[in-house]
This record gives sequence, structure tokens and C-alpha cells, in this order.
Amino acid sequence: MAEEEDDAGFEDDVDDGGNGADGGHGKRKRLFSKELRCMMYGFGDDQNPYTESVDILEDLVIEFITEMTHKAMSIGRQGRVQVEDIVFLIRKDPRKFARVKDLLTMNEELKRARKAFDEANYGS
Amino acid sequence: MKVEPEKKKEKRQKVDEDEIQKMQVLVSSFSEEQLNRYEMYRRSAFPKAAIKRLIQSITGSSVSQNVVIAMSGISKVFVGEVVEEALDVCEKWGETPPLQPKHMREAVRRLKSRDQIPNTKHKTILFH
Repeated sequence: MAEEEDDAGFEDDVDDGGNGADGGHGKRKRLFSKELRCMMYGFGDDQNPYTESVDILEDLVIEFITEMTHKAMSIGRQGRVQVEDIVFLIRKDPRKFARVKDLLTMNEELKRARKAFDEANYGS
Repeated sequence: MKVEPEKKKEKRQKVDEDEIQKMQVLVSSFSEEQLNRYEMYRRSAFPKAAIKRLIQSITGSSVSQNVVIAMSGISKVFVGEVVEEALDVCEKWGETPPLQPKHMREAVRRLKSRDQIPNTKHKTILFH
């Protein structure tokens, strides 16, 4: 039941991330620190989350996206990632499935509204 | 007894309207701190350009805007699941926010045991 390899990003059990010490995936530049901090606060963490925790979350998100992308590439049109693939992969997760449907619907409505606006202003 | 599609759609719309009203009542009773947090909850989002770059660096080809929208969206839901689980752990251990790495790690462990985190690295062999 115990996993042989530790999860990437949890190589050391020392809690202090340290500035020089490599506590994560390697010295990859942080992609979403700012946004993740806001997200964590929104979801219930302190207004000032610990940097080490933010970093762990970023590694998790990148791992999640990487997994999803690889899976999507292996189904449907091989080597490509299409929305339908993502929807299929997420079909058993009610929250994520509902969220994707909502987002795509809203995007369509926005596009339609923008188009109607443009035509009203510049169209025949 | 089959419900006609039209009636089903009306019912769903009524439920949505009720939801919206209830939310309005709730939000109007928020303290300033709650309003701040709620605003962050709604507005926080991953930068689309970075997500697109990340996906494309894996596929080696370009992806549509919809793919970026979908992936950003489910990633945010994922973050929510981890943070909520970590808050649960934190509380169970009699501690308080800010969340510490040990809370995050334990949260991941629990989510994995419930199959809520995709992991194709470790193959489960059922019968051998």
C-alpha cells in the first residue's frame, strides 16, 4: 500500500522551504504564485498563505494539468488535446464536469453577444 | 410518467432563479472580511497565457482557446478541493490557518486514497 516513490515536490519532509534549498520540483520558475495566493484565500486559507504551501500547490496544479494533457492526448484524436477529450476525462467528477459545461456555455454566450454588438455597430 | 422536455427546462430555470436569489440574500449579509474573501473566490483565476504555454509545451502543438478555458477551470476546482481538504486536516489536528505544507501533504494523501487525484505513474495491479 505504501508508495515506493514519494510524490514529486515532497522530496523532503522538512517544513521550511528555504530559499536556496530545493524543496520542490527543481528550480523551475514559479508560474502562478500571485494567482494561487488569491485562490487559496478565496477557498478559505489565511489572507497571507505560507509561500511553501503555495509552492506545493503550484507543483500539484502543474502535475494535474500535465496528467490531464497526457491523458487527453491518448484519447480521441491522438497527440491532440481537444475540449471533448477533457469533458470525457472529467465525466465522473460532478464538480469539474459541471464547471466545464458552465464555462463553455458562458463563453459561447459571450461570443454571441459580442458578435451581435459588433454587427449592431458596424454591420449592415 | 415522462416529464416533457419543456417543463423540465422551466423547472430548471426556476431552480436557478431561486439559487440566484438565495445567493443575493447571503452575500448581502456578508461582513467586509467575508466580502473580500468571496471576491477573491470568484475572481481569482490562472493566467490564460501561462496555462496555454504549459499545455502546448507538453503537446508540442497549439491548442484552442476552449481547451485553455476548460483546463484553467478544472484546475481551479482542483485547487479548491485540495485547500478544503487541507483546511479539514488543519482543523482536525487542532491547528489554525495559514495552511502548512504538512496539511497540504496530508490533504493530497487523503484525496489520493479517494481517487480524486489523477496519477498514472503508479499502476494498481488487481489480480496476479
